[in-house]
Amino acid sequence: MPAVRNIRLCTKDCLCLYVCPTGATDTETGQIDAGKCLPGCRACVDACPSHAISLAPVSYPPPQQKTDEAAAALMKLAESKLSQARIAEGVAQSAGDADTRQIADAVAQSNRLMAEDLLREAGYLLPQSENVRALLQELLQQPQDADFPTDAAKRLLELL
Amino acid sequence: MEKLSDAQLSALFANLSKGCEKQYKPEEAGLLKTLSDYYREKSGTLPGTLGDVEALVRSDLAAYASAHETAAAHGDRGALRALVWSEKVSKILSSLLSRFGKNPAAVPGGKNVYVCEICGFAYVGDDAPDICPVCKVPKFKIARVARR
Repeated sequence: MPAVRNIRLCTKDCLCLYVCPTGATDTETGQIDAGKCLPGCRACVDACPSHAISLAPVSYPPPQQKTDEAAAALMKLAESKLSQARIAEGVAQSAGDADTRQIADAVAQSNRLMAEDLLREAGYLLPQSENVRALLQELLQQPQDADFPTDAAKRLLELL
Repeated sequence: MEKLSDAQLSALFANLSKGCEKQYKPEEAGLLKTLSDYYREKSGTLPGTLGDVEALVRSDLAAYASAHETAAAHGDRGALRALVWSEKVSKILSSLLSRFGKNPAAVPGGKNVYVCEICGFAYVGDDAPDICPVCKVPKFKIARVARR
């Protein structure tokens, strides 16, 4: 488990520089050098007075199993939210005034976020999950348009 | 598992991309964003008016009770959580669209418009609330919608 720094919490107390046995915390990027970080060492995690450093899990437990019925209810609502987002996006594109554009933009953004959250709970919470792998494999097996980002899907299957 | 629509794939990959950012995995986040953008472009916009959106929110609001029941019957805490948040946000959107439909001068009416990046909570006012009233995320996750 390599250490990672939450830049939003880091107040540059720099105790991590002092305690790190390998100098992994001494970088110009604001992040900890995973190549130098000793897995499970956690000296910097315990030293940081701002609680800005944590250990990133190497693996995650399998997500809670979803039933088809519960997932279907979430997906149906998500599809409706996405239809609303797509109508609002069309309205924003053709609107002649800034008020309508602003309201339509807000409605579109809000609906897309709701759809994302509903789909996430429909069995796609964890990028490394079996569901996501199965989905990527299915997309690669199906006939796709010429512009389908095949390389991205293949690379993801290697990485996740 | 039923087949996902292009729009659903776009939203699903967008959310997984955010998940990888949280795991400090920028390459995976970028690839998932590529897939999300592909499906977003492919699904495109739909014809209709904000009045049509308002009608769809109303029909969603009528569907939450049975969705809650289904999720509760299966002991699905995550689904219940998402349903509670999106029902609250849907009620707020319904009210916002109704106000705008009755009197387009009333909202935004010179005020700023904000959307919570976590749950979609929408707010019209001078400044965003300190925490999101729906999902309780702090203010820095509540973004101002640009006026263009």
